[in-house]
Parts: sequence; structure tokens; C-alpha cells
Amino acid sequence: MIKNLFYLTLTILIATCLVIFQETMSNMTWLISVDMPVTFAVFLGSYFGNLVLMNGGGAVPMVALIAIGMLAAFLIAKILLIWVNLSKPLAYGLAGAAALLAIVLLMPLAFYNLDVLAGGRSIIGKIILTLYGFLSGYFFGITLEKRGHNDQTT
Amino acid sequence: MIKQLKIFFIVIVSISYLSAEEVIYRYESIAENLSHPWAIAVIDDNNILFTELSGSLRIIEEGILNPQPITGVPEVLFAGQGGLSGLILDPNFASNSMLYISFSSPDKGKKTNTLEVVSAKLVSGSLAEVKTIFKASPSRKTAAHYGARMAFLDDGTLLITSGDGFNYREKAQYLDNHFGKIIRINTDGSIPDDNPFLSDKNAKPEIWSYGHRNLQGIAVVNGVVFENEHGPMGGDELNIVLPSKNYGWPAITYGKDYSGATISPFTEKEGMEQPIKYWVPSIAPSGMAFYQGTLFPDWNNSLFISALVPGDVRRLELSGSKIINEEILFSDLGRIRDIATSPDGSLILATDGPNGKLVRVINK
Repeated sequence: MIKNLFYLTLTILIATCLVIFQETMSNMTWLISVDMPVTFAVFLGSYFGNLVLMNGGGAVPMVALIAIGMLAAFLIAKILLIWVNLSKPLAYGLAGAAALLAIVLLMPLAFYNLDVLAGGRSIIGKIILTLYGFLSGYFFGITLEKRGHNDQTT
Repeated sequence: MIKQLKIFFIVIVSISYLSAEEVIYRYESIAENLSHPWAIAVIDDNNILFTELSGSLRIIEEGILNPQPITGVPEVLFAGQGGLSGLILDPNFASNSMLYISFSSPDKGKKTNTLEVVSAKLVSGSLAEVKTIFKASPSRKTAAHYGARMAFLDDGTLLITSGDGFNYREKAQYLDNHFGKIIRINTDGSIPDDNPFLSDKNAKPEIWSYGHRNLQGIAVVNGVVFENEHGPMGGDELNIVLPSKNYGWPAITYGKDYSGATISPFTEKEGMEQPIKYWVPSIAPSGMAFYQGTLFPDWNNSLFISALVPGDVRRLELSGSKIINEEILFSDLGRIRDIATSPDGSLILATDGPNGKLVRVINK
């Protein structure tokens, strides 16, 4: 139980870091396109700044938003796995993808079609964020599967 | 000991009394229960036109609000920050009764909308000869950041502020669209032949300046164009606008995104203009007016900027084009959407929201 909680928290943190990475990449890529002097140090500074401010200085803490989305999606995945024969990494990967896609698609509905996550405004941005959700969920599924396997062998 | 305490108390009270600023004004309510009053246009001291974002153009006639809105107003998209927005009288309104209104205009059969400006003649409580003189292109899916304020240059051309549409902020840096721009047109909708980007085939010919965000206040003072715009989270700006100049958004900014993210870590770049003042945290500047009245001599030659957050008016003392002092006024009225001056020297304020009001500021 404690290990599950640890890996769940780790998964949410990984997803949060990836979402913020996409946000930073999106903004910095555009700045480079208009000849702004974005160096690696500037990128890193912005990324670490975003890690702090997007979780403590914005309208909604990103980690909380992702936690809510992922918890709901993982719970549904866990229930579905009772009837559906799917590997845990794939099931939780799909759940993670659905969680992030839902966040990206539903947030604008609450804000007059405004995309508060700039990194998710474009179709490519939405695909990347969904992929990051999949990777995070896949990681969580692997940890579950590994521990399930370990429990059987010990 | 008691005597010493008494002296100390008297000294403290005296200092407090002497340091307290004397309030030289009072409020007089002009109209109440208004639906999101947005822009004020003063015809004369007792006759005032104003827009309600929900789609009505209203008039105060001889000091009394006409319960019937002015008819003939085009259909508007009242959603988010969209609706019937800017309003300005023609410089020759007294003789031609012409006025200009800006609004978010729904695209027929589509889920998009855009900023539109029409000219019209006010004839006995109705708009006649309504003609579209500007329509921002391309349209947007969002209902935010329209700008939609207007001002006349001394040469009679009309400046229109066109916001970045929120989701389209990067477009403010490109000249092939109207997002994040100040537009300059003639009052018949034609393009002045000295607009700065006429020779650029890739640029929209109406563009006068670019790199703006959500410009909600504009005033021309002795030929100088002052403009205020909302930054994101922090970074609201007051700019002196010159033709062809790039004001930087979103490549340079003093604000952060609402998510907390860094939009740009840069605050300056060669070729991009600096604001003459910026506010961090945001004050959400809305309307703008320049004061040259007799009612409050101390306020002469001040720029007044109404603000939504936390809700007050900023009086900026100007020395040439520099700000030498900022005073916070009228902070007991809540969010203030617009400000205008009346010929008698009073100020007219529009408070924001579904139960807004028009208030006149007069001396005590």
C-alpha cells in the first residue's frame, strides 16, 4: 500500500515535470523562432522557474490538477481491468493519456475557450501532452506489474 | 507617566491628522443597475452615451437615464469579455451626429467571432446609416482580449485597439493579421495613405503599431498617443505609441502566464519598445482619460487610468512624456471599467459588472 502510494506520487510528479517541460519547450521554441537569445542556461532557468511557479504561483497548482486527473483515470482503469484483459502498463498508460487529454480539452471549456496551458494549444502540443500522460501511466503500470510479479515469486 | 503618555498620544494623533490627505471630491450617482457598462462618451455635461457589454447603447439625457436603449445597434456576441464594447463620438459630432462603436461580432454560421467597428449616425434615439468600417482578420474562437478602444488622432484618422485574442498571442508579432495591433483607418473605413506598413505586401495595411496584448485604454494627448494594456499575471503596461513600432508582446514581457509559466524570460530587446510604466502585480488597466478641467486644478495635465484590480483609478502626473507621480484614487468603488472627462471638469466613472453604475466625481 505504501509502495503503491509512493509510485503513484512519483508518477504524478513525472507527469507534472513532463507537462511543464512541454510548456517550457513550446514557449522557448517560439522565442527562438523570433530570434530571441534563448540559450541552454535560459531554457534551464525557465524550466526550473516553471516547476516552482506552475505549482505554487499560478491560478491552479499544476501538480494538483494532474493528480486529480490521474487519480480518476487510474481508478477507472483499475475497475476496468477486472473485466478487460489488458497488461497493466498499457491500461495505466492509456489512463494517463486520457487524463492529460481530458485536462487539455476540458480546461478551455471552463475558461471561455481559453487555453491556459499554452503548450497544449496546438494539435501537436495536445498529442505531446497525451503522450506524456501515456508514458507516466505506463511507468505506473510497470511498477504495479513488477511488484505483482515479485509478490508471486516470494 | 500619565502626562507623558498623554503628550505622546496627542503627538501621534496630530501627526496622523496632518499626514491624512484631504479628500477634495465626492461622488454623484448618474445611473445604476447597468449591465456591464463598458465605454463612456460624453456629449456634454448632461448628455452622456455609454455602452453595456451585453449589447445595449444607452443615453443619459439631461441628466436622466433613458430607460430605452438606443435602437439599431448591430448584433453582438455577449460572452466572456466580448460584447458591445468601445464607443467614441466623431470630432464633429455636434454637427454630424456620427459615432463609432466596436464590438465582438459573431461570424454567421460559424463558431468564430471577431472585432468589428461600425460608424453610425445618432438620430432621435436610433442608429442610422450603420456601416462596417473595420473587421479584424482572421476571426477567433475565443471570447477574450478584444482591445476595442478607440481614439482620434489630430488628423482625423481613427485608432482602434485590437487585442491578441488570448490564444493567439504569438500573432501579435506578425503583420499578416490584426491580433495585438493598433489599427489606423479613416472614418469611412479606407486606409490612410501614410500608414506605416502600406509598402509591405505581407502586412495588413491598417496596422499602425504591433506587439500589443489586450489594449483597454487609449488617449491622444497633444498629439502623443498613450495606450494601456493588460499584461498576463503582472506586466500591465502604459506605452507611448508611435507608428510602425513593435511593443514586444509576447517576446518581451514583465508578466507571467496565468498558469505561472514563463511566457518569455526577456523584458527588453533591441527593436522592441519599452513601456513608460509597468505594473507588477497587475492592476488590470481599463479606460484612460486626460484631465484638463477647472474643477480639480491640482489634477490638471494628469493621465487617469481606471483599473479593475483591486479596483481604483491611477492618476499619473505627466512631465512631457514622463510620469513623475502616481496617485491612487476612488478605491472605494470596486472595479472601474472606464473613465471620461466632462466639459465642466468632473470625471465620469463606469463601475464594472452586472450591476454597474455611472458615477460623477465632483468637488466637495
